[in-house]
Amino acid sequence: MNELAIESKDLAKTYGSIRAVGGINLTVPRGAIYGFLGRNGAGKTTTIKMLLGLTRPTAGAAQVFGMNVSTERMAILRRTAFVSEKKTLYPSLTPTELVRFSRGFYPTWSDSAVEKYARLLEIPMKQRFEKLSNGNQTKVWLLLALSQGADLLILDEPTTALDPVSVDQLLHVLAEDGLDRGCTVFFSSHQLEEVERIAEYAGVVDHGKLLMESRLDDIKSEFRLITAAGNSLSAQTSAQVLSVAVEGNFYRYVVTKDADSFAAGLSQNGATITNVATLSLREIFLQLVRKEQ
Amino acid sequence: MYFWKCWRDTRSFFVVFLIIAAIVMPVAAVVSLGSHLVEDFGTSAFLNTFGLILMAVPLGLGAIGASHEFDEKTAQFLFTKPRSRAYFVWMGWAVGFAELLAVAAVNFLAGWATLSHYSKNPFHSTLYGSMTAQNFLDPLIFCIWAYCLTYSLTVLLRNGLKGLGASMAILFGLPFFAAAVRWRWHIDLPLVPGLPFGGLPLAISNIIWVLIAMLFVFAAQLVVERTEI
Repeated sequence: MNELAIESKDLAKTYGSIRAVGGINLTVPRGAIYGFLGRNGAGKTTTIKMLLGLTRPTAGAAQVFGMNVSTERMAILRRTAFVSEKKTLYPSLTPTELVRFSRGFYPTWSDSAVEKYARLLEIPMKQRFEKLSNGNQTKVWLLLALSQGADLLILDEPTTALDPVSVDQLLHVLAEDGLDRGCTVFFSSHQLEEVERIAEYAGVVDHGKLLMESRLDDIKSEFRLITAAGNSLSAQTSAQVLSVAVEGNFYRYVVTKDADSFAAGLSQNGATITNVATLSLREIFLQLVRKEQ
Repeated sequence: MYFWKCWRDTRSFFVVFLIIAAIVMPVAAVVSLGSHLVEDFGTSAFLNTFGLILMAVPLGLGAIGASHEFDEKTAQFLFTKPRSRAYFVWMGWAVGFAELLAVAAVNFLAGWATLSHYSKNPFHSTLYGSMTAQNFLDPLIFCIWAYCLTYSLTVLLRNGLKGLGASMAILFGLPFFAAAVRWRWHIDLPLVPGLPFGGLPLAISNIIWVLIAMLFVFAAQLVVERTEI
């Protein structure tokens, strides 16, 4: 059995001369919560659309549960729940009617899950979709996705328009219920705190390229902020040095991979290492994206 | 499921026209009771109401049926359901088509019963006299054609009003096109869908018209299947 829920190889999409996704290699393990991070327009939504068969890849290939997204779309969709970035549904239907509409498509549908999440997320089930607030419209999408009994949840900016309480509820649901069922959660976001809170794995995408993908703990342990004091130290960036900030005699290096040897090298050049600190996901993300620019 | 959704979207329009189709002839007969209008003009009234209803219903059903489904935003929801896009195109079409036939059948039966009841000449004798089956088949073929065209254009343009507008433009423009072809190249094209093609037998012409109508839906299906959402 394929141990990966999602796997892509050089997945690319261009619209005319615009490269939306430029060869992404994703590896999302089964049962994991994977945060797909990137700025607006980074290529997150296009990647998700290709995984769901809404858009055809220009190059490369992708598999979901070992099934090819181009040729085995139906089998993939039977096991996948999706929350779109655009939270639009049929305006005249109520959430109850949307449940009725969606139920028949999935043999794994759970009415008890509908009841549970409708109560938990406080969704007015009898109100027409067009009359619901933006937050409640988002919740309806989530309700439909969570009740589907899917093996894979693909959520594109799922917390858009949600208030902090609802975000908290949603993250709790994804982390607890999702993992209990062995469901894989792949969610795109630029809300780094949300990803940091529940994700086990993260991938950072920018300008259609995957800048980094790893277990979140590994990412955090890999990056270090080294502050050194000295004269005429190197201020050059490299594959290992993501950025250098100079303030007088103080140099602040953001280093990836083998920070200890880098610090030792600085010491040999006469620098005094004043601090070696870990970075938050936000700081790492910003460093990666700035370097890419 | 999707069948229910299509029914829900069109049911108000369908029920209104079903009522109109059912009562138009009986009401007209009751109103003109004693005036001999039914006896004198009943058959032409029957044919005209049948034709008018079958002109309005396909345009409405064609434009309503697929107006939301293939809209850019809701398509993401619909096309991530585990069904082929062809299923959605043809299911929407089938529901509207069934409603269309139901309205036609009810109007026909109500008109038939009314004329049989009020006319001095029983309807069955006029049916094989001044009225023929072809009198009913022509508007029905036109109606199927108009429905398939409107539905397909609504699917392709992803908007009910645009689909309706484009369909009406084609339907009204078709006689002018046929006349232009006849004038320029001396080729006889039927002026209106439902009329016979040149010297072809009527039955063959009708089959060709229906096949052309189905080709519109098939073309819409092919486009929808290839559309990137």
